[in-house]
Order: sequence, then C-alpha cells, then structure tokens
Amino acid sequence: MTKKIIIKILILVIVLTGLNFIYNLTQYKHDLKDRCKEIVDIKEKQDSTDIFYFAESSNLTVRDEDSIKNSISEITGFFYPSLKITSIDKPATHAGIYKVWLKSINVNLNKPKAIIVTLNMRSFDAAWIHSKLETQLQESVVLVQPYPNIFNRFLLSLQAFDNKTEEQREQEMLDDWKNVQLVFPFDFKYKTVRDWDVSYGQYGWDLPEGDPKKNKILLTCHYIKGYAFNLNENNPRIKDFDEIAKWCHQNKINLYLNLLAENIEYADSLVGKELVFLMKQNRDYLVKRYSKNNCVVVDNLDNVNGLEFIDQTWTTEHYGYRGRMIIGRNLADSLKKQFSKQYKKAY
Amino acid sequence: MLFNSLHFLIFLPIVIGLYYLLPQKFRWIWIFFASCYFYMVFVPKYILILFLIILIDYFSALAIERAIGRLKLFYLVASLTANISLLAFFKYFNFFNENLVSVFSLFGKEFHPINLSIILPIGLSFHTFQSMSYTIEVYRGKQKAERHLGYFANYVLFFPQMVAGPIERYETLGNELKTSHKPLYQNFSDGFKLILFGLFVKMAVADNIAPYVNQIYAEPLKYNSLQVLLSVFLFSFQIYADFFGYSTIALGSAKLLGINIMDNFKTPYLSKSVSEFWSRWHISLSTWFRDYLYIPLGGNRVAIPRWSLNILIVFIVSGFWHGANWTFVVWGALHGLMLLLERYFSSWFKFEIKNEWSFLNILLVLKTFIITSFIWIFFRAENFQKAKEMFNAIFNNQSVELVSLDILYALLFTGLIILFDFFLYNTRFDSKLNTFKTPFRWAFYIVLLFCLMTMSGTQKFTFIYFQF
Repeated sequence: MTKKIIIKILILVIVLTGLNFIYNLTQYKHDLKDRCKEIVDIKEKQDSTDIFYFAESSNLTVRDEDSIKNSISEITGFFYPSLKITSIDKPATHAGIYKVWLKSINVNLNKPKAIIVTLNMRSFDAAWIHSKLETQLQESVVLVQPYPNIFNRFLLSLQAFDNKTEEQREQEMLDDWKNVQLVFPFDFKYKTVRDWDVSYGQYGWDLPEGDPKKNKILLTCHYIKGYAFNLNENNPRIKDFDEIAKWCHQNKINLYLNLLAENIEYADSLVGKELVFLMKQNRDYLVKRYSKNNCVVVDNLDNVNGLEFIDQTWTTEHYGYRGRMIIGRNLADSLKKQFSKQYKKAY
Repeated sequence: MLFNSLHFLIFLPIVIGLYYLLPQKFRWIWIFFASCYFYMVFVPKYILILFLIILIDYFSALAIERAIGRLKLFYLVASLTANISLLAFFKYFNFFNENLVSVFSLFGKEFHPINLSIILPIGLSFHTFQSMSYTIEVYRGKQKAERHLGYFANYVLFFPQMVAGPIERYETLGNELKTSHKPLYQNFSDGFKLILFGLFVKMAVADNIAPYVNQIYAEPLKYNSLQVLLSVFLFSFQIYADFFGYSTIALGSAKLLGINIMDNFKTPYLSKSVSEFWSRWHISLSTWFRDYLYIPLGGNRVAIPRWSLNILIVFIVSGFWHGANWTFVVWGALHGLMLLLERYFSSWFKFEIKNEWSFLNILLVLKTFIITSFIWIFFRAENFQKAKEMFNAIFNNQSVELVSLDILYALLFTGLIILFDFFLYNTRFDSKLNTFKTPFRWAFYIVLLFCLMTMSGTQKFTFIYFQF
C-alpha cells in the first residue's frame, strides 16, 4: 500500500507542476491584474523606469479648485526631466504592502536607480494597522507569495491570508488603544490613547450632530487616535520597513523614505504640545533608524501649513497644490545628491 | 473549522495519521480531541453546549433503559424537552421576542423585548436532532444505551458531520466509531476522490454562483426580469452545490478514517416530482422527520384529511427547523402543499413511462426543478418584502435595462454540475469513478484539480447550512 501511495503522490506532484505551467500561461496574468494591478504595472514598466515612486492616496488626491493638478511624483519629476519616475499608488497602502511590491521587481533585469517609498505617520498607528481595509490589501498580494502560482491562487480561494473580520480588527484596535502605554519624558496624566481620547470625547458625545463644538471635539479625538503612539521596533510597520531597507541595501538600490507632512498646526491647537511632541519624537525615530546605508529619510513632517491640507475636518495627508509643491521640491532636493547631473531647477 | 480552509487541509492529514498510529483503545480519545478542536475553531465557548447535550442524552438513555412503565416515557420527555429547550433558546429566542412585539402591537399594547444578543452556535440544529434520535431509539428499544461516555460523545461530536450533517443514527455511526479500522488503500483512494469532488462542487460551483445571486437578491428591482429569473435558478444550484459539496467532503473525510456515513444527496434536481425530490435532497433530515414525526403522527395510515395535515405539519416543522424566520415556515409549507397537490392529482396522470429519459420524464424533471426553484425564493430572501420584490422583478421588470454582470464562471460551472448530475444519477462519485479505467479517472482528477485550484470563487462564503 505504501508503495502505491508514494507512486500516486509522485504522479500528483508531476500533474500539479504541469497544471502550474498551464495556469501561468493562461490565467495568471489576468488574475494578477484583477487583484493587484500595481504589481503588473511594476513588471511592465520596470524596463523603462529610473525611479519607482510608491505611494498611498497622497499621490492621487488634488483639490478641485487647484490650478496645478500634478501629483507629488510628477512635481518631483519636473526637476529631473531626463529621468523616468514611475508612480505606483493605491489608497491606504503602507510599508507591509510596499514590501511586497518591491519584491516583485526583478533585480536581474534593468534595475531601478532609486526607490521612493512614501509613508505618513498615521500608517504606523493602531487604527491603520487594524484598518478594515487591511483584508483587501492583504488579499491583493496573495498571488505574489513565494510559492508556485497555482498554489497561491488556491490559497486565495481558501482565503488563506490575514482575512480577519471587520469586528475582529476593530476589537484589536480598541485593545491597542486601551492597553498600549504612552511614554513621555515628562509627567502627563493620560497613559493610553483611550484615556486621552475619552478626556476630550466625553464633552462632545451628548451634543447634537452637526454642532460645531462637537465637530471640533471629534476632530481633536481623531488627532489623538491618529498620532498618539511611540514608535519602536515592535511596531509591525517598522518591521516591514526594515525589510524594505534591507532588500534595497542587498540589491544596491538607493531608498528614499518620503515622510509626508502632517497637520502639526492643528495637532497643536486642538490637542496640545504633548501630541506634537510625540509626532516629532516619532519622526526623529524614523530619521535616526533609517538614515544609514543607502537610505535617505526625506523629512516633510512640519513643512506644510494647516490650511494647505485638503481635508480640514479629518486627518489625512491630502494637500493642495502648494503643499504638493513643497513636498515635491523637498524630495527633488534630496535626490540631488544621487542625480546631480540630471537635476534642473523647475521653480 | 471550515472544510474549505487551509486550516482543515492541514488538520485532516494530522488527524488521520495519528488515528491509524494509535491502538484502537485510544482512538476514541484522539477523535474526541480532534472533534472538539474542529468545533472550537468557530466559537470555543459553545463546545460547552455540546457537552451539555451529550451529558443530558447519555444519562437520559441510561435512565430510559433501566426504567419501566411510564417512567421510561418521563425520562424521554425530559430529555427531549431539554434538547428542544436548548435549541429554542439559542435559535428561536430572538424570533419569539420579535413576534411578541408584533402581537402586542396588534392589540395596541407595548412589549419590551429582553435583549440577550444571542449568537446561534454553529450546527446546533444538527447535533440536537442527531442526539435526540439516539434517546428515541433507546426508548423504542431498538438501540441499547451506550455505556461508554467517550463513544457517545464522539457520536455527537464526530467532526466530519458535526456541524451540518448528515444526521446519523447511533445504530450506524455509533457502531462505526467503535469498530477497529485498518488503513486500507481503497478507503484512502475513495476518501480523496470524495474530498476533491466535494471541494470542487463547493468552491468552484457554489462560490462562483454566490456573487451573482447575492448581487441580485440585494436589490432585485434594479435588474431585468431575465436576470432575476436566472438568479432564482442559479440559487437552486448554489444551495445544492454548497450543501452537496459539504456533505461529500464530510463523507470523504470519514472514509479516510475508515468510517462510512450516509449519503445526503442523490441528484435531487433529476427528480420527477416534489415527493421524489424529498427522497433525494437532505436525505438524513427527511428520514429523521419521517421516523420521528411523520410516522408517530400516523403517517399515511390515516384518513386523507388527517394525512394531509400530517404532511403539512412535517413540512412546516422542517421549515422552522431551518431557520427562525416566517420565510422558512412558508418555504416548508409550500413544499408540503406541492406534495399534497401532486398526490391528489396523481391519479389524473397515471401512465406508464418505460424510458427513464423520455421526453415526458424530462418535462417532469423540469417542472419539479422550476417549482422547487421558485419555492427557494422564500428560503433565500431574508424577509417577505424581499421575496415580494423578487416576484415583482420577475414579472414586471421586462423593460428594465440589462445590467452587465460577471456571470461566465457561474454559468460554466452550473453547466458542469448539471452534467455531473446526469453522470452520477443514482450513484456516488467514488463508486462511479471506480468503474472507469485509470487514464479516464486521472483525466477527471486533472480537470477537477485545475478548476478547483485556478477557477474557484475568491470571496469568503461559509457553508449556507452552517447557520442552521
């Protein structure tokens, strides 16, 4: 019986290898395009690309009344007309997804000269880590796992990826807010996000919907939930970015961490200096951790003033054209060291 | 744990491997733990409800066997009451609450329901019915009470069929679980065939149809009559593939352990009448109702009006068993009515058809399919308003523009499942395939594997019958 079973298993392995070959020939590209067109784009555009620009919605959003509608990556490109900067962007993306995109670059072909990875501070917070969009993001990268493609496709059908329900994710987020201790080098009465949030929120919950005072309190609470955390090596996004940095270092590709601007002005006026302290402390952590080897941190954290943010009632990194121009130029300046010959002053 | 999960595909080989490595006297312990783990992957604390059912029925059966006279009946009634109370509490509490609100409001009174936010434990209806059948059989003297609590627990908990059946009798599954099974090549071969086919039917057929059906049922009035009508027919295949797929995987998983469980489906959509449909659809539930409700009510050995009432009672209870919603009751009642109409008018159509697939028989099959499909609307719609919208859309939306919907795979696999039904008519996948030569069999496996691995649905759909 054992011999018979071993023979059958061997035949099965041969059959699966054949089926994998047929799948790659017939359906794989179509499936990949359906679920992760960004990776198809990377593969298709790699040959003609000098710099890849990975981004979330900051590179996709413009203000309706903006006279200049160019994205940040396009604006940076104005300074390097001879370089081809290819932007690959998708809303809500974070380092965990960029990491997968990055690994789909074939380093044996025409290697990009640099990779710009756009990150915003909130992508390190509990709300983003446990966002309900995460399931969709995780699903989008199943097909490029390091297994045979037919097996990846089967895993997709089996839902064998991080596909927690929205309720589970929300609970994890609430747990983090409740349990993770905030550390300050000075005395501060709130030790967790939850305590801090409740201290403001309790004065607004009973107010009627649409009341300006309530709106202000809600916005204040968003700022607390979005930025009140201490970055450290246990943060999953730090681990993801560590992998990105390592991959770029190993493959000798220069990496630029484009740290986006946050609305420091509003954080200060709505919440106070303690929150601004945390934001800046986290920025310093990123700068210190990643400004080494072939990685450059482009620090835009407090470069854009409050009114240049498109969303005035929410925490986002969507900028009016002045904001985009500031970030685009700052990024272009950082690239100058590597691409001094190609640099041309644009404005 | 879901059968269509990576978790199960890892769990099953481990369970089988250790099962055959262990001496027979320890195997029940392994099956017990494996089954508990399988169930606890869903909601761990609900295993306590199962333990409670096991303890109630284990001790009730012992008491019934020892008792004499009316005491026997007392223990049986106590056991059944406990089982039904558990089911009623978890499954029907909210339903009764909501209905009390409506009844009170009819009389202009206000009723404040008690909010308990109960979640129905997965498969509760299945294991209570299975366990109840055991105590009833002991009461009838057809089954000896099991002395070994572990074996009895495994009868209720046996993981391949614990959450969605087939609803087994102790006489068969209980004895199978006690028997020492050797690892036989034929069992492995048949088990894998069944699992492969079951996964294909669930993941490639049901899960590819589900998105289309869900989309139409969400807002039927937005779609053209033809598209809505198609969704009604497709749902018939979706629920069939979903439940048949589950049952086939259950059968295959048990077979790998050397254990035979009953067939729950026999190509139901090739039935020529509604009564035949019920002898081919969810067979273990139909026979349960036949043995423990229909026959005790008098079966067909009563006058026609009483018999008609018996049929209606059985089907209404069956509908209610499926879900705590009036739509399920109507679904059951309509099946009962159709069955009665068939019987009343059967004398009008007494003619002999020799050829199984004659034109007339095909028409009868189509008639039965159309009837059952339309009745499924009440099963699928979450309320009467939605069912009404479905009927409205079917009969009034001819002029609504056709909306472009992704339906290629749904149609392709529906076609395939129809072909399979003809292929498997009155037989089972493993035994049918065993009649063919190796190259044909392997060609079959290759096609199934390819469809399963590369064309299965990619959205998360649990088995429909898990909710019952």
